[in-house]
Amino acid sequence: MIRSIRLQRLRDEMAQAWAVTIKDMRVYYLQPPMIMFGLILPFFLFFSFSIKRDVGAEVGIARLLAMTTFFTASSAGPVIIPMERRMGTYDRLMAAPMSLATLLIAQTLVGAFFAFVASAVPLLVGLVWLHVTISNAVLLLAGLLLASLAFSAFGLVFGSIPVQSVGSIMMPSTLIRWPLLFISGIFIPLSEMAPWARALSYLSPLTYAQDVINHAVLGAGYLNRWLDLGVLVVLLIVFLIPAARLHQRSRVLGY
Amino acid sequence: MGMVPEESNVYTELSAWDNLIFTAQLYRVLANQRNTRARELLETFGLWEYRTVKVENFSKGMRRRLTIAMAIIHRPSLLFLDEPVPGLDAQSARAIREMIRQLNAAGTTVFLTTHDIEEANQLCDRVAIINHGQITAIDTPERLKAAFRQVQSVEVALDPGGRFDRDALGAFSGVTQVIKAGDKWRLYTEDPSSLVHQIVRFAEENGMRVIYLNTLGPSLEDVFLKITGQEMGTVRHENNERGTRRAKMGGRQ
Repeated sequence: MIRSIRLQRLRDEMAQAWAVTIKDMRVYYLQPPMIMFGLILPFFLFFSFSIKRDVGAEVGIARLLAMTTFFTASSAGPVIIPMERRMGTYDRLMAAPMSLATLLIAQTLVGAFFAFVASAVPLLVGLVWLHVTISNAVLLLAGLLLASLAFSAFGLVFGSIPVQSVGSIMMPSTLIRWPLLFISGIFIPLSEMAPWARALSYLSPLTYAQDVINHAVLGAGYLNRWLDLGVLVVLLIVFLIPAARLHQRSRVLGY
Repeated sequence: MGMVPEESNVYTELSAWDNLIFTAQLYRVLANQRNTRARELLETFGLWEYRTVKVENFSKGMRRRLTIAMAIIHRPSLLFLDEPVPGLDAQSARAIREMIRQLNAAGTTVFLTTHDIEEANQLCDRVAIINHGQITAIDTPERLKAAFRQVQSVEVALDPGGRFDRDALGAFSGVTQVIKAGDKWRLYTEDPSSLVHQIVRFAEENGMRVIYLNTLGPSLEDVFLKITGQEMGTVRHENNERGTRRAKMGGRQ
């Protein structure tokens, strides 16, 4: 009996998470900060660091995939949550008979979905125009999926900061995301880094995403592919913890 | 439980229909009942023909109606309404008041928060007055009024009015306060009967004609002002004061 009630509750919470996810996809996909930080910025970065450099199509596409996933997924939380707070619609979500975990999972799924769709663009460009070959499509799918979820949860940490303005969150989020980009193995491969720089790069979640994408696209990476995937799973969980705590803090402060 | 905040918190990028269906999903309304319930509410609130229109194109009144519809889509037994009608056109305000009455008649307990004291008087079975964060009075509107006999008043207009000033009126026996209300004067007293006689005698002695005379029981607004320690009549002129003092009207309608 109790098991059946728990299962029903779980089904209800999953349905609610899905409803919030679909709603967010419909409401926020064309918001200017999403387009700017999530879709356009990775392409600018890619061209800035690739033009006139001897970068092969496969390497370029792998980099672009990692950057697109990182920026798009981590942009959703800092855009959506403050906007919802400002419009008062966040109160509606908080007042609904739905756990905080469900809400956070829904918000994570939204960012992951945006990132997944956005990363399809460079992938298609690579496959169709540049005739890039993918070494391991299943690994690429798994890597992109886990990276999208982990980066989306990462963005959620910023989105959970108790403020109502997107601008107020963009500053700390940018200050942290950019260094993580530069210390990762995106622009300088891990194998070419000095030992101290490589040690530093392990602090960036992007390093593991780039490495697993390298495995999938180029057929070779620096770390073990399972280690990359495992770290992304751990990061997904780790990022959700401060996000939940900040949400509870926001609730106490009345945001 | 349903909640209607002061600001209409609807998703402006979605249609009225999508807003309702999303809320129904959030509140676990069964899938086979969502469409029927959404249609029923849109028709009740006069929004059916605008169901596919994005809410960003709605007027303030339409958004307010949709917000209330979203709050009751799951048939809550308790509904919190924060300032449901201020700023709305008369038609929308009346429709919402009527809806609140119907909901209450159907068994929903409505908890209404408002600065509009007359609205609370008309809608609420019980009223709680909050001053500086504390409930300072709680009872039915009529019992609250009955407890404040000293705020009974007489309204009078005399012709010619120029010879009838605040000082002369304040000199009448038993008058506690004098307020000018348009072309009339309102005199607060515990003994309206005696005051009426004094006014008539005053008019006769001074060759004046009584063109309007009315005795008034205490209004809920009078009670509110008395309880919160404000001077009678100041609310009409000091809008800022209304922002700092808040009357909370609650209970079953």
